Amino acid sequence: MRLSASILAVALVSGLGTGAAFADKTVLDVTAWKGNEAEPAGLPELIEKFELENPDIDVELSYISRLDTDVVLPPRLQGNNAPDVMMTDMPLVKVWSDAGLLADLGTGSAWFAKVDPSLKPAITNGDAVHVMPLEIIGMGNFVNVGLLKNAGIDAIPTTIEDLKLACGKLADAGIKPLILTGSFAAPLFVVANGLENADGVAKPYGNMERQFAGDEAFGKALDTIRDLIDARCVDPAGQAGLDPWSTALTAFKSGEFAMMPQGAWNISDFSTVEGLEFAFAPIPSSKASGVALDLFGIGWSVSASTEKMDAAKRFIEFFADEDNLQIMLEAESAYSPFTGGRSGTTEVTAAYDKARLDGGVIMYPFAVLDWPKPLEKEIWDSLTGFLLDPEKSNDEVYERWDEAVEDS
Amino acid sequence: MSGSNRIFLFLAPALLVIGAFFVYPILLSVQMSFTDFTGVGTADYVGFANYDRFLTRSKYLDSVGVTVRFTLMVVVLQTLAGLFFAAMLHRMPAIRNFCRAVLFTPAMMSFVIVGYVWQFIYAPYTGGLNALLSAIGLEGLARGWLGDPSTALVAIAVTHVWMFVGYTTAIFLVGFANIPTEIEEAGRLDGAKSWQRFRYLELPLLAPSFTVNIILSTVGTLKTFELPFIMTRGGPDRATNTLSLEIVNNLFGSYKFGFASALSIVMLLLVVTVAIVQNLYLKRREDNQ
Repeated sequence: MRLSASILAVALVSGLGTGAAFADKTVLDVTAWKGNEAEPAGLPELIEKFELENPDIDVELSYISRLDTDVVLPPRLQGNNAPDVMMTDMPLVKVWSDAGLLADLGTGSAWFAKVDPSLKPAITNGDAVHVMPLEIIGMGNFVNVGLLKNAGIDAIPTTIEDLKLACGKLADAGIKPLILTGSFAAPLFVVANGLENADGVAKPYGNMERQFAGDEAFGKALDTIRDLIDARCVDPAGQAGLDPWSTALTAFKSGEFAMMPQGAWNISDFSTVEGLEFAFAPIPSSKASGVALDLFGIGWSVSASTEKMDAAKRFIEFFADEDNLQIMLEAESAYSPFTGGRSGTTEVTAAYDKARLDGGVIMYPFAVLDWPKPLEKEIWDSLTGFLLDPEKSNDEVYERWDEAVEDS
Repeated sequence: MSGSNRIFLFLAPALLVIGAFFVYPILLSVQMSFTDFTGVGTADYVGFANYDRFLTRSKYLDSVGVTVRFTLMVVVLQTLAGLFFAAMLHRMPAIRNFCRAVLFTPAMMSFVIVGYVWQFIYAPYTGGLNALLSAIGLEGLARGWLGDPSTALVAIAVTHVWMFVGYTTAIFLVGFANIPTEIEEAGRLDGAKSWQRFRYLELPLLAPSFTVNIILSTVGTLKTFELPFIMTRGGPDRATNTLSLEIVNNLFGSYKFGFASALSIVMLLLVVTVAIVQNLYLKRREDNQ
């Protein structure tokens, strides 16, 4: 009896002690579409480091894909059951902050002061800030340097004229020059060249101050595509419907094609392909630098209904530290969103880095809300139709863009 | 307790479930279709603006057209293929069970796996179909099957049929099993050949199987979403953009929950109308057999 009572007493005390330990720890519920095996983005390592430096906070990271985020989080936000911290992008920030579901992180924080001036207008809504940016990632032209060498080309093309010359040499050598899928690749090309022709000013097109139809800048961009078709760069009928996320990537990785516009997030995947010697370059354009089409991809936002605001802010500020953010940037081959920040890129992106330094940066307009999101799908669909029939007039294509802007 | 009260009491749980999980969500969708709800926050009433947009923008009516064409292709191909396989297997009892299992296997696979596998089969540069055509001297027929608007919808329909022909075959085999053997024997004794027995004896008696197959495949295919989403995302240039895809794009791509609800109501009306018309016609046909 005495022994049983002793055991019971020890068990009780242990339980109380454990309970007390848990009571001291704050559990932070964090969701992200990075951090899994396919796209770790340095998150597992960073969370472990955060927990070591903040022993009173336990981070529970839940991976939710970007598509599923649209499905899973809104009911939780509406039902007052939101995660404390959520990975977001600007389209999500716009919808959720308009509904009052995101906390105002304030413009007085140390990290806000060092956000790149090109990003500040996008992330600021009046006096409120609802997202802390994590990275800027490049969208450019992947070049199979090995195939170019086989065709006797030493330099990576960054201008349209260089590209056309390279295409001719590649085609003569029996190498397919360029993948230009109707979804994603061709839109990157047209958006980059159209905006460069318009001196990088995107907003007026997105709020109907300017129309795409009849616009000289974007008209020239479509004419450029026709020139590339004539220069044997592209087999438009064969490529128009290729899936840019599966079959096109496989075709590039297997050495079927020499060049492909895509995002820098593919660098880590391409690096695992044995024998694939590649470079990440700017999108060829009329200027010598080419266009470095930067995408403001992801950031952290805090739920307005969180009861752990202090812990959430400490989590966010941890990522604003240069050394910590560098881990993520290296995993993502991305650039810092802060002025004077480092980058996680390697020699593979040397050509793209140069384009950024030479003033070739244009921000992808959807990621900074200059253009409404529904326009993106319409651009993909209309350019697929254009590649299937390049004789279509420019207005036929761009009227669909204007209609999509009007409907949004 | 009176008879009618007792009936109502036994029906009540089922009615409750149908009300809660079927009728109530539909009523909510109808209500939401008159708002500009974005999935979060408050919903403001916008009247018939969503329905007006559906009727005045040709791309949404085109989606209805794509859905109807896709359904017609799948129902016709799947029914004919299922009937063919069932007729063959009915005459080959030794391998019937094995073949039925083989035909049923694709239906047990995930849409994602099927979609990605067939996407690679149809790939223009490295795909199996084009490689096969080249190998047998038909490289002239090789093309971007999913990249060509004239073939993309047919290609997805073929994949859909491949996946579900096993169901159709199984239902027809049950129909064949229900045909009295005396009728078959009488036909043989009268000297009828295999095709004649099939055309004049078996086919009319398979009317109930036709009804079940056609209604099930029509209703299921009208709502189809997975294969067009995985294989083409509705492209090339909206050639395979079904109404279900349009709903999902507006819901989770554009955050237009109100407009997506309006499209859902349109789809509901389409499915119910087609189902009623089909049911009336096929039932009448059954009764006339």
